[in-house]
Amino acid sequence: MKISRRDFLKGTATSLFLAGFNFPVLASTTRKKNLIVIMLRGGMDGLCAVPVIGDKKFEKIRKGILIDDPIKLNSDFGLHPKLKGFNECWNENTGAVVHATSIPYTARSHFEGQNLMESGGKVPYKDKTGWLGRGMNLANLKEDGLALSLPMPLLLRGVPKNNNFYPTDGKLPREDTLELLRSVYADSSEEELLDMMNFIKKRKSEQMMGGGQSYDQRNNKNLAMKAGQVLSDPNGPRVAVFEVNGFDTHAAQGGIDGTHTKCLVEMDTIIQNLKISQKTYENSIILTVTEFGRTIKKNGGNGTEHGYGTAVFLAGGLVKKSQVHTDWPGLKRKELFDGRDLNATIDARSIYASAMSTVFDLDFKRVEKEVFFGDKLQNLSDKLFKA
Amino acid sequence: MKNFFRKVAFGLKPDEKEPSDPLVWAQKQVETIPEFSWKGKYILSEKEMRKYWIKQRVEENTTLRKKYKKDPAGLRRAERQLRYDTGAKFWPSNEICIRHTEGVNSNHPVLGKLWYFWTNHFTISDTQSLAEFSTGAYHRDFIRANMDKKFETMVQEATVAWPMIMHLDNKENVGPKSESARQEWRRREKRPATLNENHARELMELHTISPKAGYTQEDVIELAKVMTGWRPKWSKKSDNGTDVTFDSERHEPGKKIVLGKEYKSGRKSLEVVIKDLVNHPSCREFIATKLCRYLITDNPTTDMIAPVIKAWEQSDGFLPEVHKAVIKVAFEYNDKFRKFQNPENWWLTTINMSGATYSYPTKVKIMDSYPLGFKPSGTIQFPDWMLEDIGCHPYKQKQPNGYSDLAKDWMSTELMIRRVMYAKTAFHKYNVRDQIDDNLHEKIVRTNFDNPEKILKILSKAKTNEEKHIILFNLPEVLKA
Repeated sequence: MKISRRDFLKGTATSLFLAGFNFPVLASTTRKKNLIVIMLRGGMDGLCAVPVIGDKKFEKIRKGILIDDPIKLNSDFGLHPKLKGFNECWNENTGAVVHATSIPYTARSHFEGQNLMESGGKVPYKDKTGWLGRGMNLANLKEDGLALSLPMPLLLRGVPKNNNFYPTDGKLPREDTLELLRSVYADSSEEELLDMMNFIKKRKSEQMMGGGQSYDQRNNKNLAMKAGQVLSDPNGPRVAVFEVNGFDTHAAQGGIDGTHTKCLVEMDTIIQNLKISQKTYENSIILTVTEFGRTIKKNGGNGTEHGYGTAVFLAGGLVKKSQVHTDWPGLKRKELFDGRDLNATIDARSIYASAMSTVFDLDFKRVEKEVFFGDKLQNLSDKLFKA
Repeated sequence: MKNFFRKVAFGLKPDEKEPSDPLVWAQKQVETIPEFSWKGKYILSEKEMRKYWIKQRVEENTTLRKKYKKDPAGLRRAERQLRYDTGAKFWPSNEICIRHTEGVNSNHPVLGKLWYFWTNHFTISDTQSLAEFSTGAYHRDFIRANMDKKFETMVQEATVAWPMIMHLDNKENVGPKSESARQEWRRREKRPATLNENHARELMELHTISPKAGYTQEDVIELAKVMTGWRPKWSKKSDNGTDVTFDSERHEPGKKIVLGKEYKSGRKSLEVVIKDLVNHPSCREFIATKLCRYLITDNPTTDMIAPVIKAWEQSDGFLPEVHKAVIKVAFEYNDKFRKFQNPENWWLTTINMSGATYSYPTKVKIMDSYPLGFKPSGTIQFPDWMLEDIGCHPYKQKQPNGYSDLAKDWMSTELMIRRVMYAKTAFHKYNVRDQIDDNLHEKIVRTNFDNPEKILKILSKAKTNEEKHIILFNLPEVLKA
């Protein structure tokens, strides 16, 4: 890649100036806007998903796991060719990437990292709520969160009454049984159990897998279609959270058909299937989070180690335009974090805060203060999103 | 007091006599490691199980791919058949039968419950077909078999056991300055020798001292160097399925410094470094906290943890003493703290208190009659997919940190739906005579609760025995023990 950091900053200054002409449109209060988060667990390799192109040294270091024939996004970055769904978003001017970004965590433990990518804090295991839950709470959105997974992720905690969807076999017991249990929970002040029982009572039998429906119902493809549907309902949830596991490819990361690709494709499938519900897609920001990127250098087992800087995918009708937004730190040895990882020049929480500010119509400063503990973040709302 | 039997075990069976001294009853169970209560013919060692793993791996990757090069549909068919031939769809259920029999059909359920704790502590997550063939055996051979020894012994054995080395990629951990690094084939095949930090990091973070000990990235790298060379040798005949040995050619030469202490080059150092990690004050604090969290409360106090640490220090980490100490703490705090049970332990409590242990786990006769090469029946596969469905499959954790011990992580609409649905399933594990026995629930309640009248009053509102079952096993008193 030919651009250096300084060149890039020159470029940004221009676009910043131009951005000044765009007056923010006042958000209409009647429009239902959605935020959809895809959690990529295990450390997503930003340089596998969105590689730099034309950098001989990078190609050399990554030989064996390098993605051949990336789709050219611009003069400096390519896109993993199997990410067809995202590429479609890009072509429609609703797909963007923020590169060389990460949560401010550099100690390389998955579990601490994932805890922080969900809590939005800086000290592992300190915060018992997630940034998304706190953001929803600030926007006074109750009963608006939907997790497409069996457990309730930390990310959504902090606001009461979130629901989840991950169907099981069989038919629910009759209404009276559920009501009896509900009253027991109410009498014994079991608030959380009570909230859940209220949701269960609303659950319809077609939302179970009884009657010969297969377990395919709970793969991410079908969950995404389902989420697209319920988010398009004006009274439905406004926030959805997905999980994709398996990005931790210390060995056999592979190239175009490898394990990392398989995980990326699963992420892509979610985006593709959310898009089927056009109304949902048009009124949404879809964004990805991960705990860290991976080392630039491949290891002897054709894998990569835990790193730092990575990429965030953005898609949906509320994305301003197709772009790779980055303050590129460079890949020369001295430009790397700890001499081994892509550096992060943008705090990924700036993206999360900007997305919440856009979707929940919250003042950015308030999000910064009340959701992210007053940590100094960059307001990227105007650069990345449109209200 | 009756809650204690649910706290450290899985409650009492409807006809079971309440032990006169619950504390002694519980502590006695952890003194020795008896034979498995499961009497089936398949209790194979980890090494024996590896033969099936090898067959699966070698035939899948070489034989079949060659044979069906141009016939993808044929390949899929052959792959399915291979999975029947190797028992990939049978072994997990068979292992779960062994595992759950310890909890609900043995005279040492307390030991069983603690065994589950340790198998989660040394999680083998779901990669490389280990769940199908090896994880259950690993839990028996390296975890349970060491529960009457020092923690150090357990760590030593659990670390270099083949499934753990495979799971955390240590076979790829090669010293960059090792002899192997200079070999010509590496240049030819572009496979440079590099460290793989995965296992080293988890050995500290998850298995011994936890991040609280304050180690650095440099410590991780140095420990990874100590661990270089511990791997199975690859061969065409058995893929990576050979025994783990120390390959000095791949070992990083020179001294290493972990947490300020120097370790010599060579095979002995891993043993020494594990000994030091285990004796680090953060290790006993970490394990004591986890044990209290598992049995007593999500947020153990320093007063709870202290006696466990003390027992550790006095016995040099002798696990029966550590276990007895935590059981005693659980006993003392029995009335003040309730612990939300994870789905697996809840399911076993439900089955055990119901007294339906004659049909769950699946009967020995049924499991033993399964011939390799055929599709296992639904009855045989039930334990395997049930655990997956309730989100708590002990061989299919998604990540090496295992399942959470916090109530929050087990609270969601869908997880609660599972409890409702599986309480119903548990009822249908009864034979017809029990299903129509209108006195059964009263018996269960009187045996298991200090306040039977209150609970019976709630149950009296239910119209059928099935409904009583669903209500009873979803009462806060059962969900939390």
